[in-house]
Amino acid sequence: MSQASNYGTEVRPVWCPGCGNFALLSALTKKALPNLGMPRHQTLIVSGIGCSSRIAAYINTYGFNSLHGRAVVIAQGAKLANPELTVIAIGGDGDFFSIGAGHLPHAVRRNVDVTCIMMNNFVYALTKGQTSPTTPYQQRGEGPFLSLQYYPPVDPVLDMVSYSVSTRASFIAQGISSDAAHLAWLIEEAIKHEGFSFVNVLTPCVTFNPPQLFKTIKERASYLREGEPVGLPDSSTEQPWLHDPSNITLALKLAQTPVLQKPHIGIIFRGKEP
Amino acid sequence: MVLGSLLQRLAASQGYFSQMPRYYGPQIRGGASGVKLSLDTTRASVPEDTADILVCFNWEKYAELEQELPLDAESTVFYDSADQKHSVSLPEKSFQVGFSETVEELTGATSAKNIVALGLLSRILALSEDHLKGAIPQDEALALLQKNELALNSGKRLLLQFPFSELKLSPPRDSSVKIILHGNAAIAQGAIRAGCRAFFGYPITPASEVMQEMQDYLGEGNGIFLQAEDEIASAGLALGASIAGTKSMTATTGPGLDLMTEMIGLASSAEIPVVVVDVQRCGPATGIPSKSEQSDLNHAIYGGHGDAPRVVVAPHDVEGCYRLLIESFNISEYFQTPVILLSDQWLGQTTVATNSDFLTRDYSTSQRRRLRGEYRERYHRYELTGDCISPMAFAGDEGSIYQSTGLTHSDNGRPSFDFTTHQRMHEKRWHKLAPLRDRDELVKVFGREECSKGVVVWGPSAQFVLETVKDLELKDEVKVCIPELIHPLPRRLTSFVNSLEKLLVAEMNYSAQLYHYLRSQIDLPVDTEFYARAGGLPFSRKELFGPIVKLAR
Repeated sequence: MSQASNYGTEVRPVWCPGCGNFALLSALTKKALPNLGMPRHQTLIVSGIGCSSRIAAYINTYGFNSLHGRAVVIAQGAKLANPELTVIAIGGDGDFFSIGAGHLPHAVRRNVDVTCIMMNNFVYALTKGQTSPTTPYQQRGEGPFLSLQYYPPVDPVLDMVSYSVSTRASFIAQGISSDAAHLAWLIEEAIKHEGFSFVNVLTPCVTFNPPQLFKTIKERASYLREGEPVGLPDSSTEQPWLHDPSNITLALKLAQTPVLQKPHIGIIFRGKEP
Repeated sequence: MVLGSLLQRLAASQGYFSQMPRYYGPQIRGGASGVKLSLDTTRASVPEDTADILVCFNWEKYAELEQELPLDAESTVFYDSADQKHSVSLPEKSFQVGFSETVEELTGATSAKNIVALGLLSRILALSEDHLKGAIPQDEALALLQKNELALNSGKRLLLQFPFSELKLSPPRDSSVKIILHGNAAIAQGAIRAGCRAFFGYPITPASEVMQEMQDYLGEGNGIFLQAEDEIASAGLALGASIAGTKSMTATTGPGLDLMTEMIGLASSAEIPVVVVDVQRCGPATGIPSKSEQSDLNHAIYGGHGDAPRVVVAPHDVEGCYRLLIESFNISEYFQTPVILLSDQWLGQTTVATNSDFLTRDYSTSQRRRLRGEYRERYHRYELTGDCISPMAFAGDEGSIYQSTGLTHSDNGRPSFDFTTHQRMHEKRWHKLAPLRDRDELVKVFGREECSKGVVVWGPSAQFVLETVKDLELKDEVKVCIPELIHPLPRRLTSFVNSLEKLLVAEMNYSAQLYHYLRSQIDLPVDTEFYARAGGLPFSRKELFGPIVKLAR
């Protein structure tokens, strides 16, 4: 059986101290991969471009740090060519939901068994803090992003979870980088799922986000547990229903909750048919 | 097109060689379309500029294709209806033949009018009756004729109505049945022969037939076929499959090559084998999608940011499409580099009836350099070896894990910010391709070595140049060089140019791309000219007379 320490490399990450990407790195190398007993040579990490995508050099499996937005297509090609491989595509919100957004619905409908992990830090951080499709809209003076004092975002947020549900990805989960143990469990479930799986990870950018953004997310986060009532925003007048990840209609309702009002952490949808 | 295909098949079944370019416009269905079939007894020659016989079903549509299918005073014309005839000046031997009426009387519909025309043509050309009967059961496409025997025979009888006797073709040199395929099919068959087992593509004119042929083969459980969401994905999927050790390719034309450019740079940088076929069409932007041009050479050689070496090859006939596609895989796998094969619409879609020997010949196939035992303890993906080619593990191989990146990387594949490493990795990627420059067999030279006047021409334009030199009886004065390998620059091309006092570079693109490429690499003779014009209309022999005669003077 592989040992936890085997999954890391000696390369020192470029990330800022306190970055949520460290949580993903440890969730993968210290928990998910060893827990699944994943042979290192049968694992391939394909990443895009951005802070989180640097991860390919830090994991001692096969790895390829490729092009901005294209991790998911290269990942599918490798999986098709060698179905024995466990293939994980990793990137950020710019990667998967801006430059590479056109590839996702096709990955979903092909349902090639690739696990796609999106580190959503709500900002382009590697390029020093420009708006991304997930940057929350805030009025001037409401505490915009540190780098966006003068140019706050003007377009509404593209909600990746509701997008995934509406295209009917066969496995959709949302994790949070402040809970690496739970994130590792989600990733394990995503890897075990036969078919395309999408894991959105809410994570802070400690350099460019306003600190209250992730603080709010953490405070309002509610964990989804099968058979238990779901958390709803304070403003909601609806009766909480019992969480059923096999029900796409309920998944859509969860996904339509604005992430800043009630971030649902857990498995949002798990289709039965691979 | 149906008439042309059937006639080509009938003639091929009797041993005739032929080439049949297709002409069509932007219509989705119907609209103007035509073919120009040139039958030959000894080789698949390039069609003459003007037709000996023209069959026209619709003058209005003919007018759209007149530039490509010109007539002269000697042409014989058979036409169905006189509507809109005024738009064309007809030669003396022009006959209105009621193809539609004849077939309507027989069947109540006009749809088999081309079969009637086929009957007439087969009589005029005196294709053997016995052979016809023998060929029909051998060929699925010809089975159509069995169902339409009445129409076929009525066409044959039409000949008696005209003051006209059989033309009688010379008998074929040998009566062995010729195979029929176009460049796009030859490319797909070459890929399969080379061991390509993963194809990713996106529909685009005029390259789609490559994808369809690959789908026919790979879709039958012989490999991976996937129609991607765009050309970026096509190239990305191919890279992914290649990382896992499968010979992978994609095929497209200009606009698709644009989208693949970033991936080609990545393949060059991360040293991933991949074959990209570009069946060129008129550009830039959307250009004229259904017409030929050789204007992607600059893009193939230089396209993309940074210094990203790649290999560019260009066949000039169907045999070359097949052989060079195999060669593309050999080069790509051996040198771990992207290879771009430049075909074009004319070569890709012209159906050729020829001998099948090139399909059954032996071809060597190269494999990627894998690991040997001694490397396993300390595997460095980009280890600097003597020939600059590093062993490449397949993702999934045990004991040879590596991480790779499109970032500048050191020999172990790790990101590097070191400028010396950056320089060293460039040297590695460029130097490893140097042995290709000695691949003399990838440069074809025709004519007498001692000639001091020569033409350099690439792609199917070479066929037109060779025919013209022959027509002008200048084979002793003018030699012709066709570089199949264009980049890196083969030494044999350099020595060809160095042996000349007068050079002509002929190519079908507005800006003389090959000429400028050669000029950047070789000291060209003082007396050098180029003949270059935008594509669309194929070269005619007549237009090449001028520049070639001038060269020979």
